Parts: sequence; C-alpha cells; structure tokens
Amino acid sequence: MDRNKENEERRDGQLHTEAPASGEKLLEVKDLRVSFFTPAGEVKAVGGISYELNYGEVMGIVGESGSGKSQEAYSIIGLLQSPGKVVGGSIHFEGRDVLAFNKDQMTQFRGSEVAMIFQNPMTCLNPVYTVGNQLVEALKAHDKKISKADAEKRAMEMLELVGINNVEKRMKQYPHEFSGGMRQRVMIAMGLICHPKLLIADEPTTALDVTIQAQILELMKDLQKKTQMGIIFITHNLGVVAEICDKVSVMYAGKIVEQGKVDDIFYRTGHPYTMGLLRSMPRVDAESHERLIPIEGTPVDMLNPPEGCPFAPRCEHCMKICLQKMPPYVELGEGHRAACWLRVQDELKKQREEGAQNG
Amino acid sequence: MANRKKKPVIGSLQPDVDSMLDWNTLTNDDFAPASSEEKADFIQQRKSVSYWSDAWRRLRKNVVAMVALGVIVLLILFAFVGPMLVPYGYEQRNLGAENLYPHHYTLEEQEQYRQATSTLDPQEAVEQARAEAEAKGEKLTSREEALIRAKAKTGGEYAGMSEEEVYAALGIHSHPFGYSNEELERIANGEKVFPHVFGTDKLGRDIMVRTMYGTRVSMTIGLAAAFIVLIIGSLYGSISGYFGGKVDVVMQRIVDVIYSVPEVLVILLISTSMSPHITQFISDHQGNALAEFMRTIGPNLIAMFIAFGLLYWVSLSRIIRGQILQLKQQEYVTAARALGASGGRIIRRHLLPNCIGQIVVTTCLQIPSAIFLESFMSYLGVGVSAPLTSLGSMCRDALSGFTTYTYRLIIPAVIISVMILAFNLFGDGLRDALDPRLKK
Amino acid sequence: MAKYILKRVVMAIITVLIVSCVTFLLMMSVPGSPFASEKALTPQQQATLDAKYGFDKPLPIQMVNYLKNALHGDLGESLKMQKGRPVAEIIADMFPISAKIGVIALAWAVVVGILLGCLAAYYRGKWVDSLLRVVCTLGISMPGFVVASFLLILFCSPVGPELLKSFELTAIFNPDLGAKAYFMPCFALGLYPMCYTARLTRSSMLDAINQEYIKTARAKGLKGGKIIFKHALRNALIPVITYLGPLVAFTLCGGFVVESVFSIPGLGRYLVQSITNRDYFVIMGTTIFLATFVVLMNLVVDIIYKLVDPRIDLTKGE
Repeated sequence: MDRNKENEERRDGQLHTEAPASGEKLLEVKDLRVSFFTPAGEVKAVGGISYELNYGEVMGIVGESGSGKSQEAYSIIGLLQSPGKVVGGSIHFEGRDVLAFNKDQMTQFRGSEVAMIFQNPMTCLNPVYTVGNQLVEALKAHDKKISKADAEKRAMEMLELVGINNVEKRMKQYPHEFSGGMRQRVMIAMGLICHPKLLIADEPTTALDVTIQAQILELMKDLQKKTQMGIIFITHNLGVVAEICDKVSVMYAGKIVEQGKVDDIFYRTGHPYTMGLLRSMPRVDAESHERLIPIEGTPVDMLNPPEGCPFAPRCEHCMKICLQKMPPYVELGEGHRAACWLRVQDELKKQREEGAQNG
Repeated sequence: MANRKKKPVIGSLQPDVDSMLDWNTLTNDDFAPASSEEKADFIQQRKSVSYWSDAWRRLRKNVVAMVALGVIVLLILFAFVGPMLVPYGYEQRNLGAENLYPHHYTLEEQEQYRQATSTLDPQEAVEQARAEAEAKGEKLTSREEALIRAKAKTGGEYAGMSEEEVYAALGIHSHPFGYSNEELERIANGEKVFPHVFGTDKLGRDIMVRTMYGTRVSMTIGLAAAFIVLIIGSLYGSISGYFGGKVDVVMQRIVDVIYSVPEVLVILLISTSMSPHITQFISDHQGNALAEFMRTIGPNLIAMFIAFGLLYWVSLSRIIRGQILQLKQQEYVTAARALGASGGRIIRRHLLPNCIGQIVVTTCLQIPSAIFLESFMSYLGVGVSAPLTSLGSMCRDALSGFTTYTYRLIIPAVIISVMILAFNLFGDGLRDALDPRLKK
Repeated sequence: MAKYILKRVVMAIITVLIVSCVTFLLMMSVPGSPFASEKALTPQQQATLDAKYGFDKPLPIQMVNYLKNALHGDLGESLKMQKGRPVAEIIADMFPISAKIGVIALAWAVVVGILLGCLAAYYRGKWVDSLLRVVCTLGISMPGFVVASFLLILFCSPVGPELLKSFELTAIFNPDLGAKAYFMPCFALGLYPMCYTARLTRSSMLDAINQEYIKTARAKGLKGGKIIFKHALRNALIPVITYLGPLVAFTLCGGFVVESVFSIPGLGRYLVQSITNRDYFVIMGTTIFLATFVVLMNLVVDIIYKLVDPRIDLTKGE
C-alpha cells in the first residue's frame, strides 16, 4: 500500500515536470477547412472553424455524426485519410505550424506531443499483439534509447495509473482478453505513455456501458489534473461535456455554430441547434412531465451545402434571411458567440434602441 | 455567401464591425418567419441513385474493365461470327496448304529465292556435271568427292543461312497471311482466295478457324459452367441456410469434404470412369438427339460439366448460405414474416439486394476459372476430344514442333491468356463497382 | 486445442475414406475388365486374372479388401504401364521429384507473392501498384502450360533472344543440370500461386490498413514501414495462410501439366499417362495418395492458422 502511494507520487512528479503552467496558449486553430474529394464532388466536411485551447483546458466539440468533428481532429494530428485534405486555414501548436510539418516531423509529433484515443476500444488495439507489446512500442517510437526493461516498467506503471490491476499478467495478454472498459483504459495508457501536451479523445466513452463511461470520465479528469495537458473531447453527448469540459464548441454541418464556456452553453444558450441538443438530452433534474424533444429532420447534404444557415431547414425559428445568408458570429458574452440570425436580430434591436435613445 | 463583400474574420472574438454595418441594410422583412415550403425548397437533396445505375456509373468509369469488356465482345464475335466469314472448316484439310506460316512470299519472290540459293559457281557446276557424267561410269569415290565439293559450295554467299535470313539478305519482306503456292497461282489467275491468316497446321487445317472454334468451346464452357454453378450454388446455399440446424451441419460437412479434395483429381477421375459409360450410351442410342449431342461435345467435356456441377458451386453456396443465416437473425425479416410476407417475397426484397453483387461477381469470375480448367484438361489430353478442338489441345499439338512452328504455340496460348485476362479484369471491375463497401 | 485437432483429424480421416470409396467405386464401374484392351484372353485366363486380383468377389468385399490393403500401404499393382510393379513403389519412386519441384515452386511463390503484395499495398494507387496489378492479373490468367510454352519459346526456340538462349536451358528435364533444370518448371508452376498470393496479400493488406488499430498505430507516431510490416502484415497474413491449403492442391495439380511439358518423370505426368493407358490400379492408388496428401496439408494449414490468430479460443474446440 505504502509502496503504491510512493509510486504514485513519483509518477505524478514525473508527469508534472513536462507540463507548463496552465493558462498558456497550447493550440490555435484558425479558419480550418477540410474537404473530401469524392468521385461525386467535393464534400466540405469542415467549413472554416476556429478555436483556441490553453494548457490544462478541456474543450468539448459537440455535434452529430457527420458534422465534421472527427475530421477536424484528425487534421490536427495528421491522420486525415485520402481523399480528405486540409484546404485552408492554419493549425498552430505551441506556436509551430502543424500543417507545415514534413512527414518525419509529423510522425515525431504524433504520439509524443499530441495523442489520440478513439471511439471503439474493441477494434483500436491490434488483435495479434499483446497489450504490453503495443504499449512498449508507443514508448520506443519516441525514445529510441530506452531499454526494454525500462520501457516495460514504464508501461506497467502507466497501466497501474489507469487503474488496471495485476499488470504483470495483463501486459502479456492479448486485447481480446480485456473487457471494453479495460481496453479503453489501455488506450488511454497508450495515449499518455509519452506525456503528450494535448490529448484528443474521439468519443472515447460512446462504445462503453454507462457505468464504465463514468469511470473512464473520472479517470480522464483525474489524469488531466495531474498532467495539465490540454484535452479536446469529441462527443455528441452533452452530458459528458457537462461532466468534463471547460469550454464547448458546437458543430453543425462542418461549422462551429456556437462556442463558449460550459455554463454559457448550458444556461445562456445562443443557438437553436444547441437548444435542440439540450432538449434532447435526458436530465436527472427534469420535471416529471417534461419530454425529450428530438431535433426533426436530417442534416443537409454536404456535397451541395446550400447558401444560408445549414440548420435552417430544421430550425423552428427559421426566418427568410436564414435561407439566404450564412449568419455571422455574434458576441454574446466573454468568449461566448453564436452564428444565428436570431442573435443578429437581437443585436440590431439593441443597436436601434440605443440609436433611438442617443438620437 | 457569394454576395457578401467582406468576409468576417472568423476566429477573432472581437465584434465584427464591417458585418455589423452590413446588418443595417437588413429589413424587417428579412426577419419574417420562413414558410415550410421555403424551407423545403432550401434543401437541395442529391437525387438518389439506384444501386444498379450507381454500379454502372462506376463500372463505366473503370477504363480497364471497359477495355476488358470490349475484348470479351471482340472474342465473342471472333468465336461465334468468325467461322461464318471464313470459308474453311475446322476439320477441313486444305491439300497442298500444309504447314503454312502466317506469312507468305509471292511466287516471284520464291523464284528469286530459288535462283539465289541454287546459284552455283560456274566452275563448280561444270565440275558437278563432269562428276555426274563420270558417275555414269564407275568412279564412285570421285563422284562422292565431287558431290561433297559441290555441296560445300552450294548456296554460295547464302550458305548456312536460314530461309528468312536469305530473304532478308535479298531485301524481300514477307507479306502477311499464309497462302499455298497453288493458292497464289489461283490468285494470279484472278481468283479470290481467302488467306490463311494464322497459317495452317501439318494436316493443312486453317489455324485461324481452329482457334475460332477453340475459343468458342472455351467461351461456351465458361458460360455454361458459370450457369451450372449459379443454379446449384444458389439452391444448395439457400437450402442449407434456410433449414439450418442438422440439415445445415450435414450439408456443410459435405461442402468441407468437397472443398478439401483437389478438383482436378476429381475431374480426371470422373472423366476416366464416365467416358466409357458415355461412349456406351452413345453407341446404344444411335440416332437419338441427346446421344448425337453428346457425341459432338464428347465424353470428356460431359465429365467436365458433371465435375463443375459437383464441385465448383462450393464458394457460391457458402456466400448465399452466409447471407441467409445473417438475414434470418435480422429483425426486419422477422417483421416481414409477421406481416405475412411470403418466402419468395423475402428473398426478392431482402436477400437478393444484399448479396446480388457478390453473386454476380462470383459467377462472373467463375467463367475464367472454368476456361482455365478446360484448357488445362485439354492440354493434358483429357478434355475436349477430337474432332472438336480447343485452345488447350492446340497448344499440346503444337508443342512437339515449337522450335520450327513457334506461331502454332504462340497463337492459341496468347488467345487463351487474353481471354482469361479479359474475364478476370472485367470481373475485378465488376467487383469494384458492385462492392457496397467502396460506395461513398 | 487437443479437442480441435482431434475434430479436424476425424474430419480428415472421413474425407479420405469417402474419397477412397468414391474413387474405387468409380473405377470399378468402368464397363469391361481392366484387362480388356489387351490381347483377347480366353475365359480361363480371364478367370485366373480375376481371381488373382480379387475381381471375382462381390464389389463391397472388393472395396473393403482394397481399403484394408491400402491401409497397409498396398495399393495394388500396375496392370499395364509397369506390369506387376506395386503402385506404392511407383509412387515412392516418383513422388519425390514432383514434391521437390512443388516445394521450390511454392516457396518462391509465397515469399515473392507476399513481398509484392505488401509493395502494392504500400504504394496503393501509385504506378507500382498498377504495374503489379497488371502483372499479377496476367499471371493468374495464364494456365501453366501457357507459361511453360512461353518459357520454352524464350529460352529454347530460335525466336528467343540470344541472351536467354545463352543459359542453355533444355526443353526436356535433365536432373544432371542441377539448378538449371529446375528453373523453368519451378517458374512455370509457381507463377500462378505467386500472382494469386500477391493479389490476396494486397487486398488483405488494404483491409488491414483500413482497420482502426492502424489508426491507433499512426496516432502513436510509428513510422510507415513499421505500421505496414508489424501491424498490418501480421493481420493480413492470416487470410493468406488459409489460402495455403488450396495452394498446395493447386501446385500439385499444376504439376501434372508442367511435368508433361518438360517430360519430368514425376507422379503427375505418370498419373496422366496412366489415365490415357487406363491403368486402373495406378489411377486409383495415385488419386487416393494425392487426395490424402492434400487433405493432410489442409489439416496442417488449419492448425497453423489457429496458432497464428490469438483471437480464436482454442479451449472451446471451434
């Protein structure tokens, strides 16, 4: 017991050493555009999104499937698969231009500075290699000098850190001998083994049982506090966002329709789509007669994105202008903005009233 | 979007003054609620494309597959229309036209050649003549000497050269297609003679016609085999999958047994043991239409079809069985059943759309593999039997003289390869086009 | 594991048994006596011969006797081609040559095929891939005798280039020439399996490359080569291994043609000859032997497959 505690402290120390102070800018994404060039035409999966992430911050990216949230994350880590391509914008990581990296720099960058964990832990581990092998390999990819024994020791420490017992035995087992939750823990251990500064988690809890979900979220929160790394948390579950994130970007049809701090999003919602998401989310504190309201309709065809607001056809507040022009962002508070004509209308009203008062 | 003059600096969290100014041009009307019709108009849905037209679009874009399809069509024309255009039969022996190359020299050129090669040194000619005269006496040894001397000098500068080399040295190029000298004379007399495009074999049979018939045999066998496989495979697979349980276990064990025995052995065995029976049947039923038909295609070929029917459906039956088993577990099938849908309807509406692609591809790729096997068997002499011919047996016949008559080996070998290649490439293209996994 | 192997062995034995019975019955169903084509025999001679070979007994008893003898390695005697010589002895004499050529052909085919398949998958969509695709499709479209014919034309005919002729390969197999003698047969025999393996490896590599664990490996920052050769290849090889069984069978049967083309005194050529000569005991014995061999190889491949793929739980039997 004592030894365990000692270990933990030592590990914590180790993890802390590389993490700079919280609050400094870690990642800056500007007007990022990603397109897929399919035989049928160009699909604009990500249509110009921007955000910033600081050390120690957890940002959620929320949106339904096909909204481009995963593709956006893949372009940060250089995993975008053909026919996908970054067609515009910039990504700066600690001031360095990620999009300008050459192949070797990108390979080195992946895993060591930014790690990614994926949705389905069942298929993300290679079935024909032991868990230990795959962990050690991640370490060795970025530290050529590390000895096998040291690497294995680190791997075992990492497994213990993510709450796996009996690590000696577990190291020698194959992925199919692990349960889903355990595999996701292994994935997290694998992501964190090189102490990345940024962790991208692509729906890491979606494929898991609800109880396991809570455990994994707890674990990630815990690790995040210890390491001060930034996390981009991709999900379609606002409940998860409330649990873990500091700020949120809501994506719809390849665009960020609203972004802000968690409280802003939940309590000062600026966009009807966010509102729809909130209403379709079950809540413990809901009144008994309150119903879950689904968002009607299906997303627009990304192959021919219409002019105007992509959410318009599904929006209950849809106005004529919505069908003609994409709304601009309206500042709703510090760091809270939304792209919706309703907010523009509010803003105009305010301005005109002010104008009337002044004039 | 397009009519917006200035792009707002997205990403900046500062209020965007320019676009705010723009807003002032907006009227209250712009903020009127949109009607549901307007909303409906707004959605420019992609027109939905059916499975087949989508697959066809992809297939058409695949240049390789389309070229392969073109080659297949050409080969079909070659095999089925060709023999009507050529005035020779595949068994017809053209007397005087044996062993023709697929090229010829005109009569004048041949004369030139003869003159060139028979030109002897005059001195030698005299010597030879003297020797001949002496030979009428008794001096055998001197005659032999003279002959040897004469032989040594024969051909003069062309000594030791092959026919082609001599022609080349004379500056004569051969002309395409083979003609016998007799035919060349007939042409000279103003008659029209159809050329032996690929030359003739040692019996004077036109090789092009024989290749046409060989191709026809291969094509027929390929298509027939595919058909047999399709029928038996679908039936076996559906029965096995539909009944499941013990029936399925037994049927799958049978498949396992068949799967693990090399089919060539089985075909050899069947054709060996069946052909006496079939021969017997044919001779017992003289005049019977079926017997006559069997006589034409020959006992070995029948044995081969039997073997296809017995063995080759295994993979197709596995695909169909797998699909049916999968379908049986799916809720919508249970639902369809509960709604009173008949088995036939379920198969039409649910089963076929799910595995038609795989069935088409497997069946299509069956054709080249059947052609492959037929040529293999014919080459070994246990396939198509004389008088019917096949590309495989033509290769076999050509092997013994391949150093002299190389073209007889090359022509059928190339055609069979091109045919199988075209079917394989087309099958591959079809798979790419029909595979839903590749659908975007 | 033991249970699994036992099950497979039982299946294999049943298969061999079925094949043997069917072979026997088919051969015995041939009308007329096996001696029929020889010079006319007196009824007495016929009876003696029938008694000698047991043809006078009812068919089921003949079959049981034959199978019993086969189990002891007695496959009967050649009745025509090498009259009186035991079939088992002929097989023991001829199979090693066939096996040697088959093993060499298979070895180069599998090794080169896997390498080319990886190469094509690695350069997918590039010209290397297209070239290999064309070459391999061509390779699986040429029957063995066509490949052999082209080799003969290139190396041994006046049409072939001088350079190739300088290797002095002979059209007729001559074991005294050593490696030279084996080049053409092994190439002709191995080309199809090589191309098939390459195509299979390519497609199963591409399958593997699209798996999520490859994404994980990339996210870990592994180098391209390591991802291909460590993570994708091992998984991609599993379906390739399952194909090894049919590949052995194919090579064995392809040997019939190649042995015929190059006049190699192997078992395949002998079997074909015995078919043309209707030497029934040789056909029967050789067929049963070859089928047993293939079934055995399938069994071995199946077991290897289960060993390579850790996902399959061997304790449960299936």
